[in-house]
Amino acid sequence: CFPGVRQAQWLTKTKLVEGLPPAVQGIMDNPDLGLQELEERAKHAVSHARLWDTAEVAPRREQYCPVLFENLIHICRLMSGKYPSLSKRMLARNCRIAATWERESTLLQVRGLSGILMNSKTPIPPVASKEEILATKAHVLETFYPIAPTIDLQEVNVYKELNDTGKSSCFRDGYPYSHPHTLFFLESANVRTDRFRPEQLRAKMLMFAFGNALAKAKALHGNDHKVLEQPVVVQSIGTDGQLFQFMVFQLNTTDLVSNDGVKNLVWIESDQNLYEKAQCVPEVKKGVVLKPAGISGFQPDTFKKFLALYLHGTV
Amino acid sequence: PQPWLPGPVSPPAACRGLAASAPRCTTDPLWKCRAKYTVRPVGMKKTGGRDHTGRLRVRGIGGGHKRRYRMIDFQRLRYEEGAPPEPFTEKVINVRYDPCRRVRSAGSADIALVAGGNRKRWIIATENMQPGDSITNSPHIGRMAVSANEGDAYPLGALPVGTLICNLESHPGKGAQYIRAAGTCGVLLRKVNGTAIVQLPSKRQMQVLETCVATVGRVSNVDHNKRVIGKAGRNRWLGKRPHTGLWHRKGGWAGRKIRPLPPMKSYVNLPRVKAMD
Repeated sequence: CFPGVRQAQWLTKTKLVEGLPPAVQGIMDNPDLGLQELEERAKHAVSHARLWDTAEVAPRREQYCPVLFENLIHICRLMSGKYPSLSKRMLARNCRIAATWERESTLLQVRGLSGILMNSKTPIPPVASKEEILATKAHVLETFYPIAPTIDLQEVNVYKELNDTGKSSCFRDGYPYSHPHTLFFLESANVRTDRFRPEQLRAKMLMFAFGNALAKAKALHGNDHKVLEQPVVVQSIGTDGQLFQFMVFQLNTTDLVSNDGVKNLVWIESDQNLYEKAQCVPEVKKGVVLKPAGISGFQPDTFKKFLALYLHGTV
Repeated sequence: PQPWLPGPVSPPAACRGLAASAPRCTTDPLWKCRAKYTVRPVGMKKTGGRDHTGRLRVRGIGGGHKRRYRMIDFQRLRYEEGAPPEPFTEKVINVRYDPCRRVRSAGSADIALVAGGNRKRWIIATENMQPGDSITNSPHIGRMAVSANEGDAYPLGALPVGTLICNLESHPGKGAQYIRAAGTCGVLLRKVNGTAIVQLPSKRQMQVLETCVATVGRVSNVDHNKRVIGKAGRNRWLGKRPHTGLWHRKGGWAGRKIRPLPPMKSYVNLPRVKAMD
């Protein structure tokens, strides 16, 4: 009932921009990616995950969501023939993320398993130009009077203010792939009430991307609150098997106590359908086939965006 | 902070597993043991008219659709922990039907989810309450009467004479116990040195301290008494079992009575209360 992304924006001092940033759009429109054959592969990937991968009639969401994700990542990795720096990436699952920050006299923190994290050796270059960053100074964060922005957050007793990208828990020091590149969130619970709604999923993506970026920034530049000269960029993709949410988050400042000054930026592209419907058995009424079995309504644009976000930073 | 219910309801010693000679309790009201307030609906156990001994106490109750209880905050002026006792506003997020308000005499008032500061709670919705409205709760009594909007909660001393009110408390801070049924409203008749006199929907008059808080307006779902049940099955869905079919000749208790109003009920403990009617 309460909009999630707006609350997440206030908590992370972020300005929202609709649509993906122009750098990612540029990768999408690049013609020598060879997207035609990849479309075929993508259709096969969806059919495999949704139709063929099971002994029963139809695979359930817990099964097809991770399979679809693996297939899409596989197609993206095939591009490392053309772009050799793509091989400098690794995937990590179930790593714990912890980040703490203070926001107008309330101490907030993000803790937990941050989905599937993809790390790379080199960081993503900043997406927004310096002027755009300075222009966010004029943007005013919206308040939700009379509701406090920290409503519905769990109150916990914190004994240690932790900030780590999983360094102490998952990765050892000196690990070569140390820059968080993209986070993937799969909503694969079978029951609809256990899954996050798209709005809530976007808010969760924003909070975890922010947590990763903040922990990385504090690891690189120390714990003081200041505007970063090298903004940290983290991307995240969330899906429930059919709807995709794409997000690029750029951390411009770690000075989050006050409400003015430079803000962080986030570009969100929400509710992109990869396909309309996947029929496992053809729908037949009175002997007439209404809907044939198979994937209908495949949208190649969604896969293009997925690929563009994967290639971002190396192209 | 105050616990929500007066402590967990401790079932009689018999049902704690001790084989005593006391009557064994078959229905533990253990679902009522929640001490902390929560907005989420709580599963509840139906009693079917049986009391703690397991025997039938009230006839005609049983069956009906399953319901989950939503904890309703009747004390409007409940401050959050750490919040100062001053007027605060809240925003109405959602107005919905409450399945647990369908008791046989009281009507089914709707409940509203309001949020203010850091907490959300359910309150009884007044007529014309829409999601997105703001309501204020204030404990101050000024010299001039406040022009109150519907849904706000003020002490009786701050309201102008003649306003329609609901959710009235008898003692300050006790929580609303009067005028909660659908479509009901009381009228503030007059204010007399430190106390206020309210006319309840049964036309009885009640005298309370003017610091008692009440909300302004009529309770929601005004057309509740005009609805037609339509069929016996609907009564069964509400959890009402049929009456006996035995014909009784009615005695002196039946029929309309015309009698003077009972005297005014006063909840004010003054040593010698001044002239009142």
